[in-house]
Amino acid sequence: MSTVSSELSEQGERAFFGACVQGGGEPIDPEAYRIVDRWIERNPGGRERLIPLLHAVQEHLGYLPFPVQEYVAERLGLSPIEVYGVVSFYHFFTTTPRGRYQLKVCMGTACFVNNAQTICDVVGDLLGIGVGEVTEDRLFSLEQVRCIGACGLAPAMMVNDEVHGHLTPNAIRKLVRRLKAAARKEREARKGEADGENEQ
Amino acid sequence: MKTNSEAAGDSRAVLDRAALAGIREAVRPVIEGRLAARRGAEPVRREVLVCHGGSCVSCHAVPVADVMERVIGERGLADRARVVRVGCMGLCDAGPLVLVVPDGVYYPRVNESLARRIVEEHLGAGTVLDEAELTWEGPGGEVLRSREVPFFARQLKIALRNCGVIDPGSLEEYVAADGYRALEKVLFEMEPGAVLDELKRSGLRGRGGAGFPAGLKWQFVRDARGDVRYVVCNADEGDPGAFMDRSILEGDPFSVIEAMTIAGRVIGSNQGYVYVRAEYPLAIERLGAALDRARQAGLLGCDILGSGFDFDVEIRIGAGAFVCGEETALMHSIEGKRGMPRPRPPFPAQKGLWNRPTLLNNVETWANVPPILLRGAEWYAAIGTARSKGTKVFALAGAVRNTGLVEVPMGISLREVVEELGGGIRSGLPFKAAQSGGPSGGCVPASAADVPVDYESLQELGAIMGSGGLIVMDEGTCMVELARFFMEFIVDESCGKCPPCRIGNRVMLNVLERITRGEGREEDLDLLERLGDHIRTSSLCGLGQTGPNPVLSTLRHFRQEYEVHVRERRCPAGQCRALLTYTIVEELCNGCHACTKACPAGAIAGELKHVHRIDQDVCIHCGACLNACPTGAIEAR
Repeated sequence: MSTVSSELSEQGERAFFGACVQGGGEPIDPEAYRIVDRWIERNPGGRERLIPLLHAVQEHLGYLPFPVQEYVAERLGLSPIEVYGVVSFYHFFTTTPRGRYQLKVCMGTACFVNNAQTICDVVGDLLGIGVGEVTEDRLFSLEQVRCIGACGLAPAMMVNDEVHGHLTPNAIRKLVRRLKAAARKEREARKGEADGENEQ
Repeated sequence: MKTNSEAAGDSRAVLDRAALAGIREAVRPVIEGRLAARRGAEPVRREVLVCHGGSCVSCHAVPVADVMERVIGERGLADRARVVRVGCMGLCDAGPLVLVVPDGVYYPRVNESLARRIVEEHLGAGTVLDEAELTWEGPGGEVLRSREVPFFARQLKIALRNCGVIDPGSLEEYVAADGYRALEKVLFEMEPGAVLDELKRSGLRGRGGAGFPAGLKWQFVRDARGDVRYVVCNADEGDPGAFMDRSILEGDPFSVIEAMTIAGRVIGSNQGYVYVRAEYPLAIERLGAALDRARQAGLLGCDILGSGFDFDVEIRIGAGAFVCGEETALMHSIEGKRGMPRPRPPFPAQKGLWNRPTLLNNVETWANVPPILLRGAEWYAAIGTARSKGTKVFALAGAVRNTGLVEVPMGISLREVVEELGGGIRSGLPFKAAQSGGPSGGCVPASAADVPVDYESLQELGAIMGSGGLIVMDEGTCMVELARFFMEFIVDESCGKCPPCRIGNRVMLNVLERITRGEGREEDLDLLERLGDHIRTSSLCGLGQTGPNPVLSTLRHFRQEYEVHVRERRCPAGQCRALLTYTIVEELCNGCHACTKACPAGAIAGELKHVHRIDQDVCIHCGACLNACPTGAIEAR
């Protein structure tokens, strides 16, 4: 009985992950697997390593693709579904790529009573994306987060790890313009570098 | 001027008790000088304390401190003045905040050019910049300056004693500020039983929310059967609106480490964990640095101070789940599992981490332990009310003028906190209510704001002390919308394990959404109350058991507001968008078309550069125009 059900569940898992992988279709940086290997070598232990390891992978990749989750499961001796269970439980982990600039609008109480919803709407309107989405050029992603503890600055938003406080719709318009300009400059610099190499 | 670590000799050596005493003697005068700033003193040498709490750092405190250091160098003032980067000073609203000691002069909202002037004029020439100093209008219209400002004058700092006074990265400064004296006492002078006795007599109760007596909890873990025990610090400060734990970890990480070490000795544990939210990168960084430093100095690890006692602490980073603040969920998360709570008993004191007896306290509770052991239970128990002893840190936020952290004796009235320390309401509208305890707590209406703040009286009002987040609201906040906001939070954060929480709260949210959309039914209010009661009594963990509180407490104190939403389809506070009427103020409209483009219903018409108009029959009350208008010409009522 038990073998049948475990086989079934294994098949089910494979089918599930197979579907997810096809759905994603994103080529995975092979470095991701090496990060997993190196991290596991440096940190001996058991299953309690799962969450710190997922943090390490997401810090590098920006998200947790399913094949990498499967690999993590294999290396830690867990079933893929256990890993996916943890990934899907915690808000911090994501299975879709995020933007170069991750905008996280704080929806804590202090921000909420200071009109955080308006702030979030304005950001979304400006970027043309909804909460949980990423712009087509992968420049911006928008999320709502629970209190970032910057209540004295409400309403506040994080851009990657940087906190921006006392926001108004006009301040956001300026901020987004500035980020877009910075991204453009970065792209041009990279392009310039690439051109330079090509010429050589 | 030498740095404090230089004054204390070789800072990389393993420390013994004599070394600790040496550091205290060498660095103590510096700390005394800073503390004297609270009274005011004649300066010989000055220090500029620049707040580097998370909030001030995001207001660019780091470049301000950099500029000051550079100008001190340029002007050759290095032997007379020095910059110290300290933890949170509390008044986040005034960030970046700077304190010149020992004069005791605060400068709020310092930018780089003001930073330069402070160095040149105040540090160099000794002239206080009167116009830039922090001032406050007193009750009789008199001008109060710096430390006389009620926000500072009314506080009593125990848990926050070192925050904003010492450099959180400097073990020497912590030691000089009486750091590790409590641990020495516990290691060499006191029996574990005497420590427990002291804690019990102090009346210290858990600051994480439930208020369980700390001494008893320690006793239970010590008495539990088993050979391996764990000490855990709960720094998963999830209540939106609370940030005292973050500030303590950022401003005084060694005090938490010392307290956990003490607990390890008392309950017989050699391993501690601090579970911190991933949303607090700065706290994680500073705590990590403090752990490294303590290990290097031999204050963690094997044979601490030659006592034969071994103890170490590791950081575990959360991953964004509110429910992980619940103790059994937190322990599952440390074990690498989904953070789902389990029924208690068995309590963590019997079966905690990996089924071993585990002592769990929150950051603020830990920070209170060393001073209690150092100054005695009687001293601590003399502060506060009959059943709630000591002080409580509150995070003041919302509509209040002085947002920030305050530590006040238990028993102070909510009105004093909001109106005197908090400076009253920023918008000038009347004070409506204060929400205490986050999504598990409730509202205290302005009419009840005179009751003394302690665990019991807040509970009687249908609120809870919680972790101490205090969101102040004026008449512009709709209580139904607030209840909906908290319920949305609970529904989002429910782990889904038990049906009352998973389904019940969802149904409550549906009803609240209906009411804020103007589709409420007469029977909805009773339904909310009945459902809330069921969920409270039948949920598995604290999240579900307290989840309906915000709804029930607003229903209790502001039932009329709900009735207006249901019967008159009106939102008196003007927050529920679907119940508002949008019009364009002609004088402000510049005819830019921003609103016409934003309107999804095509309800706005008007030519470019001419005043636009909203067709009320077509308007779907979404508020998109309100967000889009660059001139604030859309009026919503």
